[in-house]
Amino acid sequence: MAAFWPLDGQGLSDESNQLRDGATRAFIHYHIPMTRETLAQKFRALADAWQEETAHLSSPTRIAMHPAYQQIIGMGLPVIPLILQDMSKEPKQWFWALTSITGINPVVPSEQGRIRKMVAAWLRWGTEESYI
Amino acid sequence: MPLTRLFPNLGFSDYQVTSPPSADYNCIAWAALEDDRWWWPDPNRIFYWPEDAPREETLDGFVKTFELYGYESCTSTEIEVGFEKVAIFVDADGEPTHMARQMQSGGWTSKLGTLEDIEHSLRGLEGDRYGIVAAILRRPIRSL
Repeated sequence: MAAFWPLDGQGLSDESNQLRDGATRAFIHYHIPMTRETLAQKFRALADAWQEETAHLSSPTRIAMHPAYQQIIGMGLPVIPLILQDMSKEPKQWFWALTSITGINPVVPSEQGRIRKMVAAWLRWGTEESYI
Repeated sequence: MPLTRLFPNLGFSDYQVTSPPSADYNCIAWAALEDDRWWWPDPNRIFYWPEDAPREETLDGFVKTFELYGYESCTSTEIEVGFEKVAIFVDADGEPTHMARQMQSGGWTSKLGTLEDIEHSLRGLEGDRYGIVAAILRRPIRSL
């Protein structure tokens, strides 16, 4: 940064310093790759990390408490189509995330734990709600 | 990831993979002789748990649940003629992490999350991932 903004604040007015600080922030922001990731890329990276690190677990609570999973929940409604698309390819434990984000659970009690039927229920819901 | 990286103690005894990976069922279902349902007493009621059983993620809750299926606590991990056994693993906080079921050979069988079923020694799965065996339950083998 020193080479890019050589003045280092010396001899500048307050306004100039503010402009310089703003330009520095913009420069840094532009060059941090995470900020230029698409939602799909960010989802994929988090989902892969989550899958890799929780595949041996049986407890849905522990599976859902994984930091990557929590970040995905934090993406909110825009991530729903990505989750449903992922789920349609291979059954995974997205149920907790979907319920957390949407506040609903379309799975009937008699199908609790029947993973393929649970996936089908969510994909039906996604179609009805125009997420897929 | 090789299973011995997840469970280093498997490397100190014989084990073998006995199924392909599956997301359809978990270790609790497998211990309860099911392979088409994911059992867990999660508070959100997303997964299956027997209706009359305590919906608690505690060792006591798991023991009470399997008592509904005729199991009782015991101390020996050895094979006993006329009985079948299951083992409950807990983490450092005493919360259940895993269950295994004893086979007629005296060895144990487990479903590892969404990974494979394996046959293994009971201690082979103890360690950082599943913790330790905290309870052994047994019930008379039912005649068919």
